[in-house]
Amino acid sequence: MTHLNVVAATPQIIVAAAGVLAMSMGLFNRYEIRRYGPSAISLAGIVAAFVMIVLLWGDREEAFGGGIRSDRFSLLLSAIFLVSAALVIGLAWRESAAVDRRGEFAGLVMVAVAGMMLVASAGDLIVLFLGIETLSVALYVLCALEVWRERSLESGLKYLITGAVGSSILLYGFALLFGATGTVDLAEIGEQLGGTSFAGEPLVIAAMALIVVGLGFKASAVPFHMWTPDVYEGAPTSITAFMSTATKAAALAAFLRIFQGVLPDLAGDWRVAIAVLAVASIVVGNVAALAQDSLKRMLAYSSIAHAGYLLIGVAAGSVQGAEAVIYYLIVYLAMTMTAFAVVIIREREVENGEMLEAFAGYARARPVLGVAATLAMLSLAGFPPLAGFIGKFLLFSAAVEANMTWLAIVGALGSVVSLGYYLRILGVMWLGTPADGERPARLLAVPAPVMMATGTAAIAIIGLALFADPMIDISRGAAEALLAP
Amino acid sequence: MSGSGVPLLAYLLVSGAMFLIGLLGVMIRRNPLMVLLAVELMLNGANVTLVGFSRFWDTTDGQTFALVVMVVAAAEVVIGLGLVVAVYRQRLRLNIDEMTRLRG
Repeated sequence: MTHLNVVAATPQIIVAAAGVLAMSMGLFNRYEIRRYGPSAISLAGIVAAFVMIVLLWGDREEAFGGGIRSDRFSLLLSAIFLVSAALVIGLAWRESAAVDRRGEFAGLVMVAVAGMMLVASAGDLIVLFLGIETLSVALYVLCALEVWRERSLESGLKYLITGAVGSSILLYGFALLFGATGTVDLAEIGEQLGGTSFAGEPLVIAAMALIVVGLGFKASAVPFHMWTPDVYEGAPTSITAFMSTATKAAALAAFLRIFQGVLPDLAGDWRVAIAVLAVASIVVGNVAALAQDSLKRMLAYSSIAHAGYLLIGVAAGSVQGAEAVIYYLIVYLAMTMTAFAVVIIREREVENGEMLEAFAGYARARPVLGVAATLAMLSLAGFPPLAGFIGKFLLFSAAVEANMTWLAIVGALGSVVSLGYYLRILGVMWLGTPADGERPARLLAVPAPVMMATGTAAIAIIGLALFADPMIDISRGAAEALLAP
Repeated sequence: MSGSGVPLLAYLLVSGAMFLIGLLGVMIRRNPLMVLLAVELMLNGANVTLVGFSRFWDTTDGQTFALVVMVVAAAEVVIGLGLVVAVYRQRLRLNIDEMTRLRG
């Protein structure tokens, strides 16, 4: 009965091994190895894992006796994490955190990705929890990587404390779920709780409530978002970009895996709770973002609002909802990465480069970056015909199909409010005048890897809109794999 | 259910109390070291629940889970202590209410 079937787990193994290797590359005495080794090994690992994902693409396979399952859902989500990691390693080229500790930087990003892949492919509660903790512990260190900067340390410590509280609450929920069913295997839990006979059962309700709260912390959904702006602002910006894309995708993967994959029959009990989180996140995230003067903080609140949009798809509780979430996660990766890339580039040129005033007239001085930023902001706001619009449209129509029209209305209103701050950024970038003269101060050459990562992400925003149909088909395949018994 | 020994309710009461004391500690305590300790209490509360249910269902799944959680908790505390030491070296006061460089 127990099949090892290691082949199905090769992507995870490759990424974890690449992470350990990359970390040890930072210990070499030779400067060239220290400088290029970690990034090269990580990128090689990412490419190898990607190839394995393409080869494994297909029906479900289980490894380690069901502990890890590789299906279209886990493979597609893994691809999202890998792309995010590759872009971040490119963007972090010559960033101070990554220069001083190259081995740790690239290695821990890979370890975090391995954890995320475990989350997406977990077959039982133990692997799910282990994955969440692997990614969290790696990220605590990554946030605090610039140990000479008080803010970075503060960010790491705050993330550790709130993250650990979230994990404990999640674990207690898992313990109660185990108590209600007597098994840790997700498929068996689904069988045990199938049908509606468990609807309203106190133990199961308590378990679901604790799991929603615990995952809410990880996805930074309101009211469990208090840590997000501080941590995002204090962490090295490339890590902020990684957290707001890959970590969010991992948290949403856990939401989908547990609620839609395992407990679809109890949707009546969990839908409203998740819908409330979604509404709160959209309202608080968008309104608070209006008042921010730091681009990093603004994007942090914008990521809270996007957690809300994504949770709409989870609350819909249908294949259509899951499909919309997966497609939007891909789009969200491209546009958020582009937005953060612009901040990363500016931050290296001037002190306080993340503040809005540092961007006055920046788009005129750097038209290419300006166009990339414009694409990202308009797509984040959901302007047709960009990819962000298609994603939001899918999410909202899934809510309407599920008889939750009010959710779609809140989401649409939130998008209108979000125009306020996205357009404000664009206004400052294109029309603003720098404080001291015509041109923005200190324009430095952008290193090639940074430029490549930025360009890839920006082109992906257009590509995902042009080739929306095939991407949506792939997302639907993944969503169906999630619900397959 | 195993006939003799500690009843399930006792496990659940103790673990629930541990979890709540930990949660209160996280919210009330101001020293990051004490907050870390409180988080440990929460994790171990969940562990006791796992072990209790493991006995109730007569399976080892829950105990395996609890062992994994212990390793994870150890890793988390190591990172936490490392960060606290690094913060201390930066001569920040050890009081999370005074960590207000980041706000808005």
